[in-house]
Parts: sequence; structure tokens; C-alpha cells
Amino acid sequence: MIDGSFMTSLGIIVIAASVFAMAAKPVRLPSIVAFLLAGLTVGPLMGLVELSEALDLISEVGVVLLLFLVGLELNIDKIKDVGRSAFIVGLGQVSLTFAGGFVVGSLLGFETKTAVFVAIILSFSSTAVGVKLLETKRETDLFYGRLAIGILLVQDLLVILLLTFLSGIGDGSNIELSVIGKSLIKAFGSMALLAGATAVLSRYILPRAFGWAARSQETLFIWSLCWCFLVVFGAHVFHLSAESGAFLAGFCLAQLPYHVDLQRRVQPLMNFFIAVFFVSLGVKMNPGAAIQNLSLVAGLSIFILIGKFLFVFAFSLVAKHGRETGFLTATVLCQVSEFSFICAAIGSAQGLIDEATVSIVGAVGLVTISISALIIQSNRTLAAVCERQNLLDRFPSKPHENVKPHQRRKGHIIVVGMNSLGRVIAQRLIKRGEPVVAIDTDPGKLKGLSCDCLLGDASYVSVLDDADFKSAKLLVSAVQIENVNDQLAFRCRAAGLPSAIHAIDLSVMDNLLEMDATFLMLPKVDGVKLQNKILREKGYLDG
Amino acid sequence: MTELAMLFLLAAAAFGISRWLRIPVIPLLLMAGVGLSITGHAPHPDFIGSAVELGLTFLVFAAGIEMNPDRIKPQKTAVFWVAPIQFVAAGLTGIAVALAFGFSTISSLYLGFAMSASSTLVVIRQLRASQQMFEPFGRLVIGVLLLQDVIMVALIVLVSRFQDGAHAILSAVAGTAACAFLAYRLQKSILPKVLLKSEIDPESLLLAILSLLFVFAGITYSFGLPPFIGAFLAGFALSSFPVNGVARGVLNSLNDFFLALFFTAVGAHVVVPGLMDLTIAIIFATVVLLVTPPVVTAVAEWKGLSSRSAIESGLLLAQHSEFALIIGLTGQSLGHIDARTLTIIATAAVITMTLTPLIANTRLTRKLLHLHPSRRRGTTEAQMKDHVLILGFGSGGMWTLKPLKASGYRTLVVDDDPAVVSQLQKMNIDCLRGDASEEHTLVKAGAIHAKLILAGMRRVRDAENVLKFAGQVPVFVRVFEKAEAAFVENLGGHPVLNSKAAVETFMQWYQTTDSAKPTDD
Repeated sequence: MIDGSFMTSLGIIVIAASVFAMAAKPVRLPSIVAFLLAGLTVGPLMGLVELSEALDLISEVGVVLLLFLVGLELNIDKIKDVGRSAFIVGLGQVSLTFAGGFVVGSLLGFETKTAVFVAIILSFSSTAVGVKLLETKRETDLFYGRLAIGILLVQDLLVILLLTFLSGIGDGSNIELSVIGKSLIKAFGSMALLAGATAVLSRYILPRAFGWAARSQETLFIWSLCWCFLVVFGAHVFHLSAESGAFLAGFCLAQLPYHVDLQRRVQPLMNFFIAVFFVSLGVKMNPGAAIQNLSLVAGLSIFILIGKFLFVFAFSLVAKHGRETGFLTATVLCQVSEFSFICAAIGSAQGLIDEATVSIVGAVGLVTISISALIIQSNRTLAAVCERQNLLDRFPSKPHENVKPHQRRKGHIIVVGMNSLGRVIAQRLIKRGEPVVAIDTDPGKLKGLSCDCLLGDASYVSVLDDADFKSAKLLVSAVQIENVNDQLAFRCRAAGLPSAIHAIDLSVMDNLLEMDATFLMLPKVDGVKLQNKILREKGYLDG
Repeated sequence: MTELAMLFLLAAAAFGISRWLRIPVIPLLLMAGVGLSITGHAPHPDFIGSAVELGLTFLVFAAGIEMNPDRIKPQKTAVFWVAPIQFVAAGLTGIAVALAFGFSTISSLYLGFAMSASSTLVVIRQLRASQQMFEPFGRLVIGVLLLQDVIMVALIVLVSRFQDGAHAILSAVAGTAACAFLAYRLQKSILPKVLLKSEIDPESLLLAILSLLFVFAGITYSFGLPPFIGAFLAGFALSSFPVNGVARGVLNSLNDFFLALFFTAVGAHVVVPGLMDLTIAIIFATVVLLVTPPVVTAVAEWKGLSSRSAIESGLLLAQHSEFALIIGLTGQSLGHIDARTLTIIATAAVITMTLTPLIANTRLTRKLLHLHPSRRRGTTEAQMKDHVLILGFGSGGMWTLKPLKASGYRTLVVDDDPAVVSQLQKMNIDCLRGDASEEHTLVKAGAIHAKLILAGMRRVRDAENVLKFAGQVPVFVRVFEKAEAAFVENLGGHPVLNSKAAVETFMQWYQTTDSAKPTDD
């Protein structure tokens, strides 16, 4: 238990991730790039980290939670309009990237067999990178975000076929059509079975079970994680990727009314695990061999960045989407997938490619992931520049496709805690014509309120963000939990927002006053005043 | 991933049962893990080892964040008496029982240490569920738990270097003291400035907080101590207000995740107890249940708590601490104790934690109150008549008292808080220390001869007895929730809805603010 090698490595990874992420902020570098650089520094450069099975599991959990979170954000209405386009663009981009990759690889001097293999493994884009950055930008629910995620999931399915195919062909001397056919049937059949099973469960079992669990926040959270890991296990049984399972699990829960609250709870957990994933990815890189083949790395990277962008853009237009959607979607997909590293490792083990090629693939991955992260972060600025330069004029425009549906609230009052105090305050304010956002962890307590309602724990910053906290004119907390009230008072002070906080007891007033709470609600004191008034009315008291 | 799915399936079952039966989740998680071992599907020991190690670090880190010394202040004197006396009494009894069962001296010490402290996780959840955090005994119990956690951590520091001799122990103590000082400085002045005065996004904040955890864990590890000692000190560094609130806000999900993972993994780690070990564990659990309540009750009452609050404190603290498992795991990893001893500790912890909500309840408290020596002395009916009886002085006591006095009433205040009673006595206000929900207190206070009873008791259920006892005397009960008002009304009382009054005050204030919309009201 006190053997510290696992904890030491994990500690170094977390500290490095934190230091690099902090350093990256002033230069506006995305955290993914910071994590990869952190991994390169503590791994290949300094040799401080020893990767273990436990760390690999943490990394895997990070990707699982990321896809689970994405699933949680997408309900049926949001995804049904992108299915067809995702298949067209996903298949089209992979086919053209494969063809182009083979040509570029051959021109750069690879043997035919190696060029084919490298072209295959460079064809896919990174689900973890694309989704993480969309998530950071809070654009997963925009049309282009959903389309990009759809394409990435189609590619995941293709990767599964590829992995099944690779493990079936041995050393490459026995490639038969029957093997490919069987692989295809197996993968699609498995996916259909798993999707069918989860669909039945989510239709008949999950709503009632989670409805019961939702009264306890911890139970709801642990049940949702259990559901996620069970579906991932199911995916494993069917030889599907963990990512597909996690997405499916999240997608099922996204149809329930608690999905937004679950997103907020999963987010911090995912942030920790995914940081370990990206730093570990950096640790696995081998920059030495790549530096020796700099021209190859540069050539392939340029092809991926430009080629994938153009292919996705073109197929988006084929799928009858506007140039805005095509441009933004293309920016999300112009990098190499983390699966490429796995495929490269399998290819190397089966003698299809040599160690130097594995390093080159790794370096192309690092370069394209880093550059594409920067591109995704500023994709709207880039799109605006292209529009100004009239570079996209010849393509059809459909600007309405990517309008943010959520308009920021302004000048509203947030009321937290729908007990007898909070609920009546909310109702009185609504009656006065004030715009009110009511927050509670219990869906039952929000029922019947004629205002915007948010299900969630107000101690999560993301809940306050969803309530457009910073542009509100007042926050009222009727909650009877000291910690939550203290924190809300603190956040209001930091945001310069007036607050009216429930002082449950006189002993909690010091903290609230220290936090400059604008008004303290003292029901115990007010109750006595009301009592005296009643006593006076009933003739017990004079005057 | 399969192993993780298995652990979380069991954890989900444990959380579900906990919610259904209203019992603490920790023993259920442990039992779920043990169940996995029984079926022979326990995950690989390496996986369990990593899960326990990581879970433990986060669990202790979370405990450190709660370690704000301000939480001990309200009942400082009582806390500094109750915590060590309970620790020593339960610990020594445990050691004696273990020696009597033929355990070696070192195993007996571990079994004794495991019995000496109570569970912060179980008790705080119980207090929150019953909304008793702000009652005098609630504050006492929280203070006692925090102090005991500190004692347990100090004990683990000593135990970890015990076999390496006096020099190693001294260097470990010195190293921990240096780390504790660093944590103190960070807590007092550095972290509030860094974390509160700069705009950090949630992802970076989480990583910064976790970095602090691992830096401290690394430092203590370099002193040859378990990394979780550093995690505890890192937590302490974040314990000042309002930094602790910010930290909790980003760590909640991780804490829930690792709590489930840790206890289920520990359950899967321990050996399934045989009949003999189960019997011994039951005996150890019984000892905790028999020793802790009377010791805590006696000391708490001696230090000024009412009989009822003292009994409630004793019953609530009668279980093993999660630190019992931690000290057991540390002992096993150091080779001080065998798997069987750890199993006995874990089994006894499961039993006592499971029983906590069953024994820490109003019904048993009342039964024990009847056995209390002071109750057997009998009571004399008070001479007061046509007075106004104020049950529970609380925050608004003076506002109740003054207009009554001004109207010429004779008043009697009944309160169970010794500090309140002492203050009233200094002001020459007639008062009686006692639990107003008890019949004998009401008799003493002359409730049936009163002109009026004004109840501001913390628990509305306590008013039930008053309403039944008072007969024709009008009883006004201050309540917060509408459901409570209906409850009082059904029993013939006059509810005064505090929340309704607070709404009116709020609305009056709101209308004076610049942000209020003009209205015709």
C-alpha cells in the first residue's frame, strides 16, 4: 500500500499538467497542447514517469468519461438531423485521406506496404481532442459540433472494424475478403445488439430507476457512473470500443430530465482523468526518432492538416450544409487519432511497419493534435477572416445552422433552494414581473413554478454559469446548508452581485457578513416578530 | 475496465440500499466488496491496491479540507475534554479485550486504536439528514470528530516509522511538523490570496488543488510516511473559509467517486471473516457500543451539555471511524498485523456504522433519559401559575421576552443550552435548564398552569409532547416549512411560519433596492 511508484507517477503527471496548463493560459494555448507538452517533458525528456497498468486505466477512464459526457449532452432531437451527414462526411473523408495518404507516403519514400498501413492509420481523427475542445468552447450542442461528433463516432466504428481486421490478418500474408466481410458483419451486428439492448433499458427501466435515485444526489451520480461502466463493459463483450459504449450510455441518460445535473457532476471528474490521459499520451511519444525524420513528419503533418480540412469541407457541401458548417466542422477533424498510436503499435508487433515509422506516426500525431487544437480554439475567428477575404464566397451560405440557441439572460434574479422560503420568494418575485431562475436539486420542488428552472447543486460553478449568474441582478439563497450559503455569498462578492442569503442560525452570520452578503434573511428572528404581531392581534400583548 | 464496472455495480447497489433503508452507505460498500470476494470474483490484487491507495488519498484529503479550527470553537472546552477521553477510554478497553482474546501486543494496539475514534463521514451525514448540525450537541460532535481525526493522523505517523527506531520516529515527527507548519502558512495567508483573488477556470483550479495534494503527498513520502498523511495536510491547507468552499465545489464529484471506489475495494481486499472472527468482531463492536455512549455522555454533561444532548452525542459517536480501516491497512502494509486482524477491524466497523442510525435516534435517547440518575431523583412541580412559558430561547429569545415583560407577564424560559441558561441567570431572568420536550421538564416549568406557551424548539417533532401535555393552554409553535405548520395545526397548536415572515421582510427590503422593478403593489 505504501509502495509509491504509482502514486509518484500520478503525482508528477498531475503537477506537470497543472504547471503547463497555468503557463499556457497567458499565451492562450489550449490545455490539451499544454498536457501533451507536459507529457513530453516529464516523459521522454526527463524520464520522471513510469507508466503502469493503473495509469493506463485512469487514461482509459478519462476517454470513457469524456464520451459519456458528450452522450449526456445529446438527446435524440439534437442528433437525428446529423446522422446521414455524419456517414457521408465520415466515410468520404476517411476514403480520400487514405488515398491521399498513400500517395503522399509513397512520394515521401515509404514502401508500398508501409505506405498503405500509414495511410490507413492517419485517416482517422481524434475523438478525445475534438470533443474536448468543443466541450471547452461549450459548442457540442451547436449543429457543427454535433456533426463533428457524429463523424468522429462513425470513424470510431471504422476503427473498430480496422482493429478487428488487423488482429485477423496476422502478418499480412492472409488477407481474404471473407475475413473483411465477417469483421464487418460482426462489428455492425454487435453495435446493433448493444444499441438495441440499451434502447430497451432506457425506454422501460432507466426512467423509473433514475427517477427514484434522483432524490439523492450521490445515488444518482453513482448510478449513472455504474450505468456508464456497465455499457462500456457490454461494448467490450461485443468487441466494440469503450468510447462507443460510453457515448451510448450517456446518450441513453440524456433523455432523462436529470441529464444536465449529471453533466455538471461528471465534468470535474472527467477533467481530472482526461488530463492524465493527455499527459500519458505525451509520455508515450518518442521525439528522438521523429527528429531524425523531420521531413517525413512535416510532409505528413501538412497533408493531414490541409488534406483533412479540405476533404471534410468538401463532403459537408456534398451533404448540403452551408460553408459555415463545413468550415467549422473541418477545423475539428484535422488531426490524427489517438487510435493511430494503438494501430501503429499493433502494426509494429505484426511486422507491418518498423519502429521508426511508429515514431513518425507519433510525431505526426503530436504536431497535428497541437496545431489543430489551436485551430479549433480560434475557428470562428479564422472563419471570419476567410469570409472577409472572400475566400468562401463561391460556396452556399447557411449561417442559421450554427446560431447559439441559448441567449444569455440579463437582469434576472436567481433563487436557490425551493423550500418554503425560496419557493414563496420566487413566486412573489414572479408575481411582481421579475425574471426569475429557480434552482434546486430536487425536481419535485421545481414543479409548478412559472419561471426558468434549473435542476442542480448551486455549489457547482457550472450551475451558476448556466443560470447566467454574472449578468443577474440579485441572487437569493434560501438553502439550509451552511457551506452552500457561504460559497454563494463568496461567489456573489467576487462577481460584484448583490446577494440575499438565508442565515440559518446566528452562529453562521459572521462568515456571511465577512463575505459582504447584501441582505441576511433571518427567519428565526422574523418568526418571533410575526409571533408578537399575532399575540398583539389576539390581545395577549399590549399595544 | 471490467473490474471497475464490477466495483461500480456493487457501489450502485450499496447506494441504492442505503437510500432505501436509510442506513449509512459506507458499511454497505464494504459488505459489497466482501461479497465480491466471497463469490471469487474479486479484482486483481494490483487493481485493488491501486484503487485503495488512490481512494484513500482522496478520502483523507477531503477529511483535511473539513479541518477548519473554527468549527471546534463553539464548543471548544467540551471538545477538548470529550475527544481525548473517549479516544483513550475506548482505545484502552479495545486493547484489553484484544489481549484477553490472545492477540499479540502489537495486534491488540491496532485493534484498540481502531476502536478509539468515531466516523466523521457517517456522523456528519447523519447530522445533515436530521438537520442537527447547529444544535449544541451537533457542534460538539463535529468538533470531537475533527480532533479525533487529527489524533489518528498523528498516530499513523508514529506507527509508520515505529519499527525503524526512535531516530526515524523523531525525523518523521519533525518532517510532519514542518509540513503541518507549511500547510498552516498556506491556509492562513497564501492560498486565500492565490485561489480567491485570481480568475482561475474550474479545470485549472482542480488541477492546482490536486497538485497541492500530490506535492504534500510527495514530501511526506520522502520522510518515509504514507502519502495520505501529506494528503491530509494538503487538505488542511485548503480548510480556511471560504477557500474550503471553493475546493469542495470542484472536488465533490471526485470525492463521491473515490469514496465508492475506496470502500468497495477495501471490502474486496479484506479476507472473508470466519465464524470465530465474526464473533470477535461482534464483541469488539459491542464494546464500542457499550463504552462510547456512557463515557461521552458523562464527560459532555460534566462540561455543560444537557442530559439529552449529552446522550445524543454519546449515541451518535458510537461507531468505528473510517480511520480504523486506514490504520488497519497501514498496519497490514507494514507487516504489523495480519489479514485476519484487518478483517476483524473492518467487520466491527461495518457492524457499528450500520447500527448508527438505529441507535442514534430520539426514541432510544428518551428511553435512556429515563435511566439517567438525575431523572430518578423525582421532580417537584413548580409554583408558577399564569406565567408565559418560553420553550427554547434561541436567536430571537430577547424579542419574545421584552414585549411580554412590557405587558406585565411573568415569564419562564426553558432551554437545554447551558451557555444560554447561564447568560439568562446573569440577567436575572427566570429560567430552567432542561429539555422542553420532556414531560418532567414541562411539569417542573408548570406548563399546564401557564397562560401561554411559546415554543421555538429546534425540532418540530419535540413540540408534539408539549402540545399533548399542555391541554387547554394555547401553544404557539414557530416552524419553517408549511408541512410543519400543518403538523402543529393538526395537534391543536398555533403555528407561526418563520419562512412566511422572512419572505415579507425580504420583499420589503427588495422593494427598497435600486434593482426592484416598479410595481403597482
